[in-house]
Amino acid sequence: MDAPVQDKVKVDIRNLSFYYGTSQALKSITLPLLDRKVTAFIGPSGCGKSTLLRVMNRIYELYPRQRAEGEVMLDGENILDSGQDINLLRSRVGMVFQKPTPFPMTIYDNIAFGIKLYERMPRSELDGRIEVALQRAALWGEVKNKLRESGLSLSGGQQQRLCIARTVATKPEIILLDEPCSAPDPISTAKIEELIDELSNEYTIVIVTHNMQQASRTSDYTAFMYLGELVEYGPTEKIFTAPDNKRTEQYITGRFG
Amino acid sequence: MNDIALTENLVAAGRAHVVRRFGMKDARFHGLTAAAALLVIAIFGGVIVSLIIGALPAIRQFGFSFLYSEAWNPVTEKFGALASIYGTLITSALAMIIAVPVGIGIAIFLTEICPRPLRRPIGIAIELLAGIPSIIYGIWGLFVFAPAFQTTLQPWLIRLASDIPFLRNVLAGPPYGIGIFTASLILSIMILPFISAVTRDVFETVPPMLKEAAYGLGCTTWEVMWRVVLPFARSGVVGGAMLALGRALGETMAVTFVIGNAHHIQSSIFAPGTTISATIANEFSEAVGDLYISSLIEMGLILFFITFVVLAAAQLMLRALERRAGGLS
Repeated sequence: MDAPVQDKVKVDIRNLSFYYGTSQALKSITLPLLDRKVTAFIGPSGCGKSTLLRVMNRIYELYPRQRAEGEVMLDGENILDSGQDINLLRSRVGMVFQKPTPFPMTIYDNIAFGIKLYERMPRSELDGRIEVALQRAALWGEVKNKLRESGLSLSGGQQQRLCIARTVATKPEIILLDEPCSAPDPISTAKIEELIDELSNEYTIVIVTHNMQQASRTSDYTAFMYLGELVEYGPTEKIFTAPDNKRTEQYITGRFG
Repeated sequence: MNDIALTENLVAAGRAHVVRRFGMKDARFHGLTAAAALLVIAIFGGVIVSLIIGALPAIRQFGFSFLYSEAWNPVTEKFGALASIYGTLITSALAMIIAVPVGIGIAIFLTEICPRPLRRPIGIAIELLAGIPSIIYGIWGLFVFAPAFQTTLQPWLIRLASDIPFLRNVLAGPPYGIGIFTASLILSIMILPFISAVTRDVFETVPPMLKEAAYGLGCTTWEVMWRVVLPFARSGVVGGAMLALGRALGETMAVTFVIGNAHHIQSSIFAPGTTISATIANEFSEAVGDLYISSLIEMGLILFFITFVVLAAAQLMLRALERRAGGLS
């Protein structure tokens, strides 16, 4: 496997194991995430790809009896250290979920909410930031006349783009996408994929997906996981055309999984 | 061939018979449930009608002045309900002011902050509060709480407020122990379990992913609860609060014990007062004269009306809230 040495490593996952109570969900994963690249996690259900994502912003800590071992180095600092400021970490690592999660407030406030957590700014500047965020999420045209309506009044695909806009607006460094297109309609899916492509110029993006085509279309690097283990990692093109591992090949050609 | 046709006919006939029997069963079931529902309406109507009939002498005698007169003199047979109405509304309002924030706080603690092994015991303890008979609250309030309050907190509060305009009048002595404020406090303890139990239940219906999304933005627990969970669950929370308010408005025994039963409206919340239900409970047995009894019944009618209006207003408010949230079920 030729490791892409020319790119800077943004997140370096080393020997990461994860446990739900006594059952082990991740088995000593070692994997780099490259700066301003899109990395896709693929694999059959229950392989641990979502779990891996949830370690990166430590959202798993909301639940008891879940714990991670190993190291996740973000710009050289281990985010699993107990001394890490968790709110600061989550402001640097944004997450978009499988189902849209608009907050029960207006479209405007949904985005302003995240911004106002970290920054104070005059109203006019806030308006500008919100417009930019909505434009980036390819949603501005559809909602510019109803910013004062509830975020819950949007369609599923629009809600998902609203959530992406909300994440982008807080200016994270890394964006985690957990099957962001499992709910939306095809048009929203296309828009979200375009968006991922565009965002990858500025952000390090990790996407978990069940959709092989989506992984091959959107990502620069692909990691194939199976039963909590990292089976193969490499440039997406190589994984999809000439994988080293037999199981990877079987999975991407649809013979199991 | 013929045989088969015959059998088919038989089967069809048998099936039609069964379907008819089902139909009759269903009709009986419909009738029973409809009767049960109608019974409620009949009882409701019956209560209103008998209250109105009982109240007629007082309504004829005093007219609308019954609503705004503070007079309560069984000897001269001059009756007005204002002091009782005021007491009912103010004790319920104060109880809500105390119990709603505390109840929501308990619910937040139980759903988000409390260590898991303690959740059930604390939850059960709070629900048990709802099972304590109100007479117990009354006795406890009169013999334990009121004397303690009278000798400790109350004089201190009165002294503290004595230099502050407005508050000087609201928290004015002498410290009786019993009074409007004590009744409100007891009421708030009584309605607390309703608010916290209902609120906790609706908080638990908030999708975990929504909370994760808020935490994922870097929100603190406070921000998640205040900005995301509470707005999401607000209709349920308001519903729980209204249930509690309904209870507070009608609560009789505990209030009668500790409110002081004085037919006067005073600016101080430490002063004794009365509520509609307390007045009725206290005076019904010794009421002599038709007008006296009729006045008490009219008060009952007013309480009925107040409760009805408050609950209807709550429903309207809830609907407005939901419309504003847009698409929120």
